[in-house]
Amino acid sequence: MNAFRELDRILRGEPLNGAARPLSLSPVIRVLLLLALGYGVCMGSFGLFGRAEPEFRQVVASAVKVPALFGLTLVVTFPSLYVFNTLLGTRLHFTDLARVLTCGMAVLVTVLAALGPIVAFFSATTVNYAFILLLNVSVFTVAGLFGVSFLFRMLAKPTREENTGAANIGTVFYVWLVAFGLVGAQMAWVLRPFVGSPFLAFTWFRPRESSFFEAVLKSLRHLFGL
Amino acid sequence: MHALERAVVSILVASREPVDRRRAVRAWILAVGLGGGCYGAVMGAFGGLSPERLVQVLYSAVKVPILLVATTLLAAPSFFVLNTLVGLRADFGTAFRAVLGSQAAVAIVLAALAPYTAVWYLSSSDYHEATTFNAVMFAIASFAAQWQLRQRYHELEARNGRHVVLRRVWLYLYAFVGIQMGWFLRPFIGDPSRPPSFLRPDAWGNAYVVVLTTAWRAVTR
Repeated sequence: MNAFRELDRILRGEPLNGAARPLSLSPVIRVLLLLALGYGVCMGSFGLFGRAEPEFRQVVASAVKVPALFGLTLVVTFPSLYVFNTLLGTRLHFTDLARVLTCGMAVLVTVLAALGPIVAFFSATTVNYAFILLLNVSVFTVAGLFGVSFLFRMLAKPTREENTGAANIGTVFYVWLVAFGLVGAQMAWVLRPFVGSPFLAFTWFRPRESSFFEAVLKSLRHLFGL
Repeated sequence: MHALERAVVSILVASREPVDRRRAVRAWILAVGLGGGCYGAVMGAFGGLSPERLVQVLYSAVKVPILLVATTLLAAPSFFVLNTLVGLRADFGTAFRAVLGSQAAVAIVLAALAPYTAVWYLSSSDYHEATTFNAVMFAIASFAAQWQLRQRYHELEARNGRHVVLRRVWLYLYAFVGIQMGWFLRPFIGDPSRPPSFLRPDAWGNAYVVVLTTAWRAVTR
């Protein structure tokens, strides 16, 4: 319960308004893993309803892969963020960076989990694979926008108080954000299938081919019957 | 009858005075269950009231309240998180009560419109016309509920302008889920040429894909 209380403090904007007591990050990370797993179950539920035979392994695979997607993307992008941040002389230390990123991820994952029941409902009632793919991409986009906006609001707050390296920190985070988006999208592609095509047999991973962006365009063309 | 009338008035008038929570919950259940059920029963009577068609009346009477409640339940977590994120958590209780009140209002307005639907069924046997007429009835009930939601939100919006955005977000979220829920729970009217059923054998479709492909075919034809 303490973990959810800490998460609630983030969602209520305490890190933006100057919290009275510091946030405990490890319980928040635990609850975020749980929420990401929950969204993974919702995402993989198409494997239960969208196929002639329910594929329970898809639910398990997606439940594991969604937290893995966020974890691995952070593992890939965090070192460069920390190094460039230090190189350009901004004031954020390792723990500050971890706090900012955890808060951004907390917002992203919570919005994702909150939209999970809607995704599960559409997965249960829709047989159109392209629609479900695009719905999941849209949900990730919405959650991502909320996460990013929270992260930048957090960064903007101390900038008003001290100016050392303040100009650089925005640039570093903008570059990191682009890297996070690109790596995240490609990581999702490497870890696919998350939804599981009803036309293909279940696999834990698909062979390396094409890219995330090509797949989104293909789904759009398929949805419009082009 | 007196309790029912009191429940209807308390929901439609949207009084700002403090209410007994238990009584309000009872009023809400009565309104959604009876109001939605009443309209559903009339809606499902298109195929007639013969013993073999009566089951469709029963199915539709159950499905309209399910449509209202399930859509609200699915959209509620996102509404809660978004309210929290934009700093409106303190008002969430009032906002959610307003939203629930508007759901009850939809059900009551639908029940009030049910006699028109019955008259329409007596006047026309065309299934497509019946579908359009029911869509119009649902649209009227939804507009009335939206108007009522604005009234309930008035005080919140005066206090904080962000409530205007969140009220609209609720509307879009509810419509997005509700349209698919309505599609999934078909048939409500019951095509007389088909046997009565709770869900269609082809229920697993998608309302948006059907609309998109139909529109695309119409443009490219």
